Amino acid sequence: MADTLFQDIFTVQELDPGGKKFDKVHRIAAKSEQLDMYMHLDINTEIYPMRVGDKFLMGLASTLNLDGTPDSGYFMQGGRKSLADRYEYVMQGKLYKISEEKKKHRAEILASFGGLLMMLTGDLSVAAKFELDQRLFILIRKV
Amino acid sequence: MRRAQGTLQFTKQPYIEDVGPRKIESIQFSTFGESEILKAAEVEVHRGVYYDANKKPIEHGLLDPHMGPANKNGFCETCYGNFRECPGHYGYLTLALPVYNVGYLSTVVDILKCICKQCSRVLLGEKERLNFLKKMRNPRLETLKKSEQQKAVVKKCTALASSRKAATCSRCGYVNGMVKKGTKMLGIIHERTKVNDSFLNEYGSAISHTKESNTSNFNVPDEIDPKVVYSLLKRMLDEDCELLYLNDRPEKLMVSSIPVPPIAIRPSVIVDGGMQSNENDTTERLKRIIQANASLRQEISDTCLPTKSLNGWIDLQVEVAQYINSDVRGVPLSAPAAKPLSGFVQRLKGKQGRFRGNLSGKRVEYTGRTVISPDPNLKITEVAVPILMARILTYPERVSHHNIEKLRQCVRNGPNKYPGAKFIRQPDGTEISLMFSSRKRHADELKFGYIVDRHLEDGDIILFNRQPSLHRMSIMCHRARIMPWRTLRFNESVCNPYNADFDGDEMNMHVPQTEEARTEALLLMGVQNNLCTPKNGEILVASTQDFLTSSFLITRKDAFYDRASFSLMCSYMGDAMDQIDLPTPALIKPVELWTGKQLFNILLRPYAKMKVFLNLTVTEKNYVKSKETMCPNDGFVCFRNSELISGQLGKATLGNGNKDGLYSVLLRDYNLHAASACMNRLAKLSARWIGNHGFSIGIDDVQPPDHLISAKDEKICKGYSECDDLIEKYNKGELELQPGHDAALTLEAKITKVLNGIRENAAKECLNCLQWRNSPLIMSQCGSKGSPINISQMVACVGQQSVGGRRAPNGFIDRSLPHFPRKSKIPKARGFVANSFYSGLTATEFFFHTMGGREGLVDTAVKTADTGYMSRRLMKALEDLSIHYDNTVRNASSCIVQFVYGDDGMDPSQMEEKSGHPLNFDRLLMKVKATCPAGDQKSLSPSEIRQKTKERLSEHDMTPEGGCSEAFRDSLSKFIEDKCAKSLEETIEGLKPEGDLQGEDHENYLENISSNISGITSRQLEVFLRVCISRYHTKVIEAGTAIGAIGAQSIGEPGTQMTLKTFHFAGVASMNVTLGVPRIKEIINAAKKISTPIISAKLEDEYNPREASMSKARIEKTLLGQVAKSIKIVMSARLASIVITLDMDIIQASRLCTDAYRVKDSILQTPRIKLKEQHVKVLNPRKLEVVPQVDKSKLHFELHTLKNKLPTVIVTGINTIERVVINKDDKEEPARPKYRLFAEGTGLLGVMGTEGVNGYETTSNHIMEMQQTLGIEAARTSIIDEIKHTMSSHGMTIDIRHMMLLADLMTFKGEVLGITRHGVQKMKDSVLMLASFEKTADHLFNASVNGRDDKIEGVSECIIMGIPMQLGTGMLKVRQRMQQVKLNYGLDPIMS
Repeated sequence: MADTLFQDIFTVQELDPGGKKFDKVHRIAAKSEQLDMYMHLDINTEIYPMRVGDKFLMGLASTLNLDGTPDSGYFMQGGRKSLADRYEYVMQGKLYKISEEKKKHRAEILASFGGLLMMLTGDLSVAAKFELDQRLFILIRKV
Repeated sequence: MRRAQGTLQFTKQPYIEDVGPRKIESIQFSTFGESEILKAAEVEVHRGVYYDANKKPIEHGLLDPHMGPANKNGFCETCYGNFRECPGHYGYLTLALPVYNVGYLSTVVDILKCICKQCSRVLLGEKERLNFLKKMRNPRLETLKKSEQQKAVVKKCTALASSRKAATCSRCGYVNGMVKKGTKMLGIIHERTKVNDSFLNEYGSAISHTKESNTSNFNVPDEIDPKVVYSLLKRMLDEDCELLYLNDRPEKLMVSSIPVPPIAIRPSVIVDGGMQSNENDTTERLKRIIQANASLRQEISDTCLPTKSLNGWIDLQVEVAQYINSDVRGVPLSAPAAKPLSGFVQRLKGKQGRFRGNLSGKRVEYTGRTVISPDPNLKITEVAVPILMARILTYPERVSHHNIEKLRQCVRNGPNKYPGAKFIRQPDGTEISLMFSSRKRHADELKFGYIVDRHLEDGDIILFNRQPSLHRMSIMCHRARIMPWRTLRFNESVCNPYNADFDGDEMNMHVPQTEEARTEALLLMGVQNNLCTPKNGEILVASTQDFLTSSFLITRKDAFYDRASFSLMCSYMGDAMDQIDLPTPALIKPVELWTGKQLFNILLRPYAKMKVFLNLTVTEKNYVKSKETMCPNDGFVCFRNSELISGQLGKATLGNGNKDGLYSVLLRDYNLHAASACMNRLAKLSARWIGNHGFSIGIDDVQPPDHLISAKDEKICKGYSECDDLIEKYNKGELELQPGHDAALTLEAKITKVLNGIRENAAKECLNCLQWRNSPLIMSQCGSKGSPINISQMVACVGQQSVGGRRAPNGFIDRSLPHFPRKSKIPKARGFVANSFYSGLTATEFFFHTMGGREGLVDTAVKTADTGYMSRRLMKALEDLSIHYDNTVRNASSCIVQFVYGDDGMDPSQMEEKSGHPLNFDRLLMKVKATCPAGDQKSLSPSEIRQKTKERLSEHDMTPEGGCSEAFRDSLSKFIEDKCAKSLEETIEGLKPEGDLQGEDHENYLENISSNISGITSRQLEVFLRVCISRYHTKVIEAGTAIGAIGAQSIGEPGTQMTLKTFHFAGVASMNVTLGVPRIKEIINAAKKISTPIISAKLEDEYNPREASMSKARIEKTLLGQVAKSIKIVMSARLASIVITLDMDIIQASRLCTDAYRVKDSILQTPRIKLKEQHVKVLNPRKLEVVPQVDKSKLHFELHTLKNKLPTVIVTGINTIERVVINKDDKEEPARPKYRLFAEGTGLLGVMGTEGVNGYETTSNHIMEMQQTLGIEAARTSIIDEIKHTMSSHGMTIDIRHMMLLADLMTFKGEVLGITRHGVQKMKDSVLMLASFEKTADHLFNASVNGRDDKIEGVSECIIMGIPMQLGTGMLKVRQRMQQVKLNYGLDPIMS
């Protein structure tokens, strides 16, 4: 059983904090319950609508293979069993930056899922699990 | 058919040494005397006739067959050659009396000024003469200095003659008068009217004996006739000639016989089917000379008195003068002919003349020209050539083993079927035309070594060009693609360098004819080798227009594609031959969807094996200044290892004119193939995608919604009422004045501000209300076309129209148009257009709009001529500067202009950093970190970083001897210190927990995070340093680069783009500085008088406003009239005087330090006021009295003139400075504003010396003044700074190296030389070069007088002579070591 690198339940606090810019993609600002994480995430709301107040479970994994073998980088088709089965909305992308929030003693993890961006702000201990240029899968399921 | 009768028959062939091909090394200029003419001539020409009745040229006529055949049927009587073979021969024509040669007239005048008109010796005293002669004979003296010496001699002699009105010859005692050129006729005047000597008395007494003469009134004829001059010149000593810098005998400067040029250069054309002949202008001129000569001869033989024949002589003189120069001055004006006959000077000079029209620019074969059109399916290096053109243009291909079958087919096809051929050339020189002869046989007989002139085929090298060719990228090398239809086609990405569009533009193509030419063209001029402009290193060939639009739309954040459409788009970008690895979709669940950004990942790196890892960050137009990649508008473009992380691509990333866009980075980090392949892929993708997607503009795109209309109306109403308030205030005189403005100007400035505010607000409102699908909005956002202003003009409000930087001027009395009341200043009456293009303009608005539009048109029309001339001059001045193998910049005569090009010897086209530094360290570091992941390696500690860097930087290739500039080493070590060592320290500091209770675990991940954030591993640092250093060394400019020409183009080309803005405020309002082309012209011309000289002075105490206004008062010119309360004439019984009362209030208020005593001093110092100490009395510190001392009769007048003069007496300040403005600068520290002074006018020295001014930091924008005050180095810096400032205020960046080169060229002779004909004359000493520049005839005549020996080494001269020039690839010659021939002079060995 593969482990996710990170898992938490978030509540959507705000939709499009910078103003609405795109029709199909909205940026959600969400806060986590357990680890006091804060997140900005672009979501294709046309196929997976999100509203303020929605609660969802979000996980980050480096591979979808259930046995934990690292992701090959090639896309395999076919209905193989995978980590994604247990989630409703799955995106694939890349962690491209880790930076510190000045003076707040928190770290920011930035990832891009084919242009849909995620910024996860949280404690340093969470950030330590990630590596730069890591392939990431974001897994979301509403609760 | 040759008639061999006249040729010499040799019993033995004469021996002619074979010396191989010869090369012209130099040209000697000299004068052509009578004996040489006779020697060169074959026949005497004395009959002014052409043909006889049988159409045969008449003997001794102007078309005598001894001078060459007159037409194709004739033969030469001298060499028996036919029309094609005979080179032509000279004839001669003897004049009855000598006349002046107009070209030498001024030289003859100069000579006559210097010699005695009786004994022909120089007028100078013996000692002076020897002195000058010694200087003149100095073998090391340059020609320029020599002619200066000669001018000095002339000046000295004229001074002798004019100072006492006469100069007595020290040798013969003859009294010489002043010599000058005749004004109304072609002659020389020797003015002796004021000379009183025996001759005059004798003449007087002689004339008194005649009856009819009136003894008191007689005139000495003051013109010296040419015959006298001739004999004077003939008697001159050789030594004196040397003194006057005459190389040859001076009598040769007169014309006594004329060489009749060969018929070849004055062709006679038979027209009207042989009925008439059309003669060349030269022939007709000669005919008139012969006629004038004949009538003069007649006159002479009729009368024995030479004075009587003056009329005929004058006619002959005029004819001969016009034969040489048809628009010579001093010719009596006859009725102007319909088309004046041109003289020799006219044949040479001007744009169409021999020098510029035929010698410097030659006609060529193998060229084509048609209309151009776009084709995105072509590669950027290709150009589509229509089959029709390909059938005409040929390339001579040598038959070899590899191409014989192809060429056989070509030969078989012949000249009319496409892949065909026109000629076959065999090695023995025979040429076979394939037009008629049996092609099949020739094809079969084709052998190796034959040359076939075959049609153009795919892959042939072609030079492609569009006029105006402003820079070297206007002519580039492409590969041909033969295509149907009739236009030349190329990829739109290459429009930019040619500045081409497809609205009917035509372009030229040339086909290089040899393998060497092809290779050189491909390597030096190939499109792929010229992606960057040498102007500043920005990328020039890049995506444009639709490519940008489609990339922008594809990379939108909400562009998602399913498997089918994504795969389709992937297939768009190639030729269906490329491997593409489909990536994992960005969205896996609930449906598989790929984003448009993923398409760009494929575009950059289609398959995993491709080793292109692009890393860059760019901010696009719509970036909101925060949060980098998380920008809500998606305006921050970030590529990481060829993956598009974020950002919607637009012009900043893909377009031209930047240094860190996608293509620039590809080009720098990888190679030109990576960049050009990427451009090709994008062109294909976007053309096909946008064709399916559709992109058009319609009326609904510019329809404003209702709420926008109301908002706009409201804004306009508010603005109008604001303006009304201002106007009312102005009318009442309550307007608060702006510094340096009067009331009217203040009003204008304020109203303009309000009105511009309206337009801006309307634009903002308008852009907000448009939805994202709006086509104009998309175009303006991605930068493909149009700006937000254009959109708002269509949708909301056109805005204020301006003419000459002002609101619309008065076209009628006190009003702009008769639709408005007089003196109306309301916005509508002054050209404010409240409507939009959609809503439609009212009649008056429309008219104002045309006024603004016309100004633009006129400006561009005027500017093209101006900048064209400027570029030409720059080019002529800089053309021969090149880099030599010792890294110096030298001109053609090996004179050093710069020791190291641009102080660091770097190539401007390769500079990666915006401000012209070689490398962009930030980007490189990012790339190294991304492409060389840390992995398991631990990152270095700050001290380790420093240690490692220091070690690497002390190696040999980082020292000046190893070819690295100090500046680069310092900047690199500074960068590593700042961005690696220090930032790591800061990160660690920032992450350090407040408490220290954390355990080892915490320590571990702290280290992990900090290294993830800003750590650098040992390998990364090593790679970074290695990349930096090795790349630096590849950026060194190559020896042989024609850096002068590149510099001239780099400065000239932006001139054409400089828009209307000709003025700009120098820090403060109201102080205008000339900008744009006029300013560049001033700088380059090194103008003595510039239109807006401004001295900017720093103050010693920058923060003290009181101090500033004190200094201002000291500098600014203050007149007595400005500070006097009254200047009155006081008349009393005892004395009359002028009483001046000073207005102490004004003096105090403007902080002037003056009182009556000082005023007295300044009155006394004023020139031309003629007042002495005792005339001015100080009554008290604010009152003085002026009592002029003249006799009573003139007193009244004197008082009044004084009263008028006194107000203009300068009390304080520098009289050349009109105005001083204090500038407050609170940008740096708002709390503590800095003050500085701007003084309008000249007088830098005075300002620097003023109390309170910091003389070290005071500069002027007047280059000549800088030179006079601070010296030549200051002038050089000033030139660089001024050009830079002018260019940057038009938003143009030019590499500083070009400006340095220009400034160095202008100053390297020790004085500031302008790039004008006077300056260029002093920089270059090649006659041919100067003759091909300006004043062609003058330079040639002077050169022959001075007997100049002109070496053929410069660019112009080599072009004229058709010799490869000593630049670039012509700089070096390959020499082959030949086996030495052993000569055995001794006896042959008996046994070998």
